[in-house]
Amino acid sequence: MSSILQEIETEIAGLKTSVTKSNVGVVREIGDGVAKVEGLSDAMLNEMIEFPGGLFGLALNLEETEVGCVLLGSGENIKAGDEVKTTGRLLSVPVGKGLLGRVVNTLGEPLDGKGPVKADQFYPVEKLAPGIITRKSVSVPVQTGIMSIDAMIPIGRGQRELIIGDRATGKTTIAIDTIISQAKQNKAAEQGKLSGHKPIYCIYVSIGQKQSSVARTIKILEDAGAMEYTVIVNASASDSAVSQYLAPYAGCSIGEWFMDQGQDALIVFDDLSKQAVAYRQVSLVLKRPSGREAYPGDVFYLHSRLLERAARVNENYGGGSMTALPIVETQAGDVSAYIPTNVISITDGQIFLETDLFYQGIRPAISVGLSVSRVGSAAQTKAIKKVSGTTKLDLAQFRELQAFAQFGSDLDAATKQKLDRGARIVELFKQQQYQPKSLPIMVSSLYAMQKGYFDNVPVDRIRECQGKLEEYLTTRKEALMDKLGNEKTLDNVESDLKTALEDFKASWK
Amino acid sequence: MKISKDAVRASRLLLRACFDASGRLHTSRVKRVVKLVGEKKPRNYMAILHSFQRLVRLELEKRTAVIESVTDLSGEMRERLRVDLQKKYGEDLTLNYFINPSLIGGMRVKVGSHVWDGSVQAKLQALGESLA
Repeated sequence: MSSILQEIETEIAGLKTSVTKSNVGVVREIGDGVAKVEGLSDAMLNEMIEFPGGLFGLALNLEETEVGCVLLGSGENIKAGDEVKTTGRLLSVPVGKGLLGRVVNTLGEPLDGKGPVKADQFYPVEKLAPGIITRKSVSVPVQTGIMSIDAMIPIGRGQRELIIGDRATGKTTIAIDTIISQAKQNKAAEQGKLSGHKPIYCIYVSIGQKQSSVARTIKILEDAGAMEYTVIVNASASDSAVSQYLAPYAGCSIGEWFMDQGQDALIVFDDLSKQAVAYRQVSLVLKRPSGREAYPGDVFYLHSRLLERAARVNENYGGGSMTALPIVETQAGDVSAYIPTNVISITDGQIFLETDLFYQGIRPAISVGLSVSRVGSAAQTKAIKKVSGTTKLDLAQFRELQAFAQFGSDLDAATKQKLDRGARIVELFKQQQYQPKSLPIMVSSLYAMQKGYFDNVPVDRIRECQGKLEEYLTTRKEALMDKLGNEKTLDNVESDLKTALEDFKASWK
Repeated sequence: MKISKDAVRASRLLLRACFDASGRLHTSRVKRVVKLVGEKKPRNYMAILHSFQRLVRLELEKRTAVIESVTDLSGEMRERLRVDLQKKYGEDLTLNYFINPSLIGGMRVKVGSHVWDGSVQAKLQALGESLA
């Protein structure tokens, strides 16, 4: 009992002598989410500034006699003459496994009504990217479950692969499919199926989107059972430009926590062109000089410092990784606009989606010629590499011949064979949305295509045949598929796969 | 009033001219600057004067300590404060005393943008925030 009394006494004694030293300023001007504050002589760049009523701002412009602060919330109750204080803190977000399955805003506050977020730690929003010593080259694949991507434009863990295309060409769908595929693999690994599989946790950052589209995305992820491995950071179109500009960094910090724990993370930025627009707005109201298309001079650095934080860290530093899938929207297929070229040059490759292909029914509408992955092939599994080695070339030749074949009807046998094969590959790569495929299924389909099992199937029945084959393999050849999924190479299963395919072909009509 | 960059630059130069070698602001020099600008009327002289006024105000705030307390401070207390603050901020610091009952107890000292807050009001506020 007496110890408690003593504690209270020391507490009171501490209170008596405590004099808080702080640095204050006075609001001189406020508007458009930006406050000009006089004073604040000790303010640091990017420091949080406390406004009356528990509102916080970020000091973005330090001038001779003034500080330009952006408000992280609504500034309706702030007026000229209000006193503000420095806090000595940087903007931080809660991080940890407790965020999985949650929807949070830029500051890490819950938006899903599931109660407070359980955080292990707080990470600053702006963080330095891992250096050269800590890094390692990409060596493990991210299985997107989209056959055309895994076969032709493979993505590795720690890679930055841009998804670019016009509006409504399926950019978000590719990202969501990838998240669903990760959840499926994580679940399979938890059931002890995929040997040596390291789970990937996903972060989906939505920037400047309609609340309705975000709600739909959440519904899709919940229905697919992927929410439990996913964190959603939402800065919707009605949120302030500041929170839209900061949301990717907040998401990145959440992902970095997983990387620092030696785990793998995947982060989707949907989309960075809207973030650049939000940043442009913030910069213009802060009266920073504008450059091309009124973007400020540091719009390249805005994206490069964000995407540099995606990395593969070597074993001495935990061996974690963060893969980034930034999304950029183009206008009328113009990849040479300002923001697209910037992000293309930063990332390790891009997946380019075309409107024409989309309306031809080729979905995902991936343009094979313009899409590349600069580092992912090093991470491709042996099995996929073996069955898809020439696919990209075959398709490229097909496109070339297709244009040529429109003029003449007489074609030699070799050309005709190439055209037939190409048309079948295009059909094979068509895929329903939100239904990512498993590795063994993809390998088997590609193997069947490579070895000519689909050659005598009419082009318009390829998908039907492929569907039946997948059904046959998953229901009747489960052991074979499990073995292929575990070994990830064709060496020991090729003969079994061959007989299975022959059995199937004999029964298919 | 719109104050151009040129006007701000000119007023900054004028302010610099009002300091002596030891970095002290001379009231006589400030008065002379205002008088001369008013007489010669250079381009944008109104904007220059407004900007100059603001800079002088900020400069004076930096050299003025505002001391708020609930009751009038004793002479001995004032002397101790003066010695302490002048040691920290230089000899030319002027001290202004105010009575502010809303502090409930204790004292609050403000020099420029630095604030030392030892008032009961601030402690209550901090307590309230820590409980919220």
